[in-house]
Amino acid sequence: MSMTFAEVWERFLRRDRRALARLLTWIARGEQIANIQAALRGLPAIPDQNRVIAFTGSGGVGKSTLVGKMIANFRHAGESVAVLACDPESPLTGGALLGDRLRMPNYPDDDGVYVRSLATPSGHEAVPDQLDLMVQLLHQFGFHQVLIETVGAGQGDTAVRQRADVLVVLVQPEAGDDVQWEKAGLLEVADLVVVHKADLPGADRTEAQVKALLNLPGCRPIPVLRVSSSKNIGLDELRQGILAQPSRRGIRLRNANTLLRLAQAAWVDLLHAHPETWKPILEQWQSGRINDDEAARQMLSLDKSTGSITS
Amino acid sequence: MDGHDRGVKVVARGLRDAGFHVIYTGLWQTPEAVIRTVADEDADFLGISILSGAHLTIVPRLMELLKAQGLDNVGVFVGGIIPEADVPKLMAMGVVRVFGPGTSIQEAVDFLRPFAQSAVTQA
Repeated sequence: MSMTFAEVWERFLRRDRRALARLLTWIARGEQIANIQAALRGLPAIPDQNRVIAFTGSGGVGKSTLVGKMIANFRHAGESVAVLACDPESPLTGGALLGDRLRMPNYPDDDGVYVRSLATPSGHEAVPDQLDLMVQLLHQFGFHQVLIETVGAGQGDTAVRQRADVLVVLVQPEAGDDVQWEKAGLLEVADLVVVHKADLPGADRTEAQVKALLNLPGCRPIPVLRVSSSKNIGLDELRQGILAQPSRRGIRLRNANTLLRLAQAAWVDLLHAHPETWKPILEQWQSGRINDDEAARQMLSLDKSTGSITS
Repeated sequence: MDGHDRGVKVVARGLRDAGFHVIYTGLWQTPEAVIRTVADEDADFLGISILSGAHLTIVPRLMELLKAQGLDNVGVFVGGIIPEADVPKLMAMGVVRVFGPGTSIQEAVDFLRPFAQSAVTQA
């Protein structure tokens, strides 16, 4: 399917899932970013009750399984659901094995469910660049709730909080003593804590530890819910708990890092559209005639020196 | 879609190590579910491992569904236990390549490499 942006966008507006899939591919590759941003600006605002809900926690805690359960739960409540399931991309080869779908039920006949796997480069805070743009597309396509499953780095993925309206942190029984929770740094950014696998022994103790930690004087009150995906316990309560959280939309985007990311994306897009303007630099750099610093410097001075790239 | 996953996991891992993005869908998928995954993930290739002998039933169904969804551009390759005599039949259905037992990962990588920057879905 090689189509122009205008063709794909026109199909997206007609709610063609394949156009949505292609737009997400482009975003994941860092292509067409400026076009997509411009096109999105022309669409109406997203209703406030639509949420971006992130699920995080260490590997093996049951993120994919719980997200899979929540797809069904939201569907039963009449809400459509899109999932962005992030898995790590190898820093060495750029390859990725994306296996989150495996643990989510498949709904080939239900247009109210969309699941997309995303390879997340290392060093990107457990969620891909341009996640916000992907979320906007999914909401504009008509999905009520967008669930994000992080790669689950465990101690470093707190950055996802500013991308989501509600951050659900999963912990499981027998995952360490209360000092482990203290240092994890993850609980302090949680809007909601799920003690997952609550049917296992030790869940009581873990719940008590987490509650004791979160209810220290001066902390904001954070709901702690016991959930078991395998026994279908606590799923309705989790959905209600999520929807009871206030939306963070609008205040989460506007910081210096976001602006830098936007500028970078716009610049790379412009360069992609005019490969001929920087081909000589690429060749010189590949042949070793100029070093990394010099190549980067020449790239930065491109628009002024050639005059051939204009927005 | 088969009940065996050793081979498909080895291939998935090999392609991952070669820099591909591989989406593994798991065992016992229906053709409809596989096609939905290919569409939603915007995959460039679909790799299927069949050891059960059902390839002449499953593959035509998959090709038909791909076509019906306008996904003709997706390259389908098949691995597993495919009798030599059935290979031309599968190719005639539009399969781009059949990898038999003993295929090295490198052969698969070399085949897919020209289409680099591609996602590969495995079922």
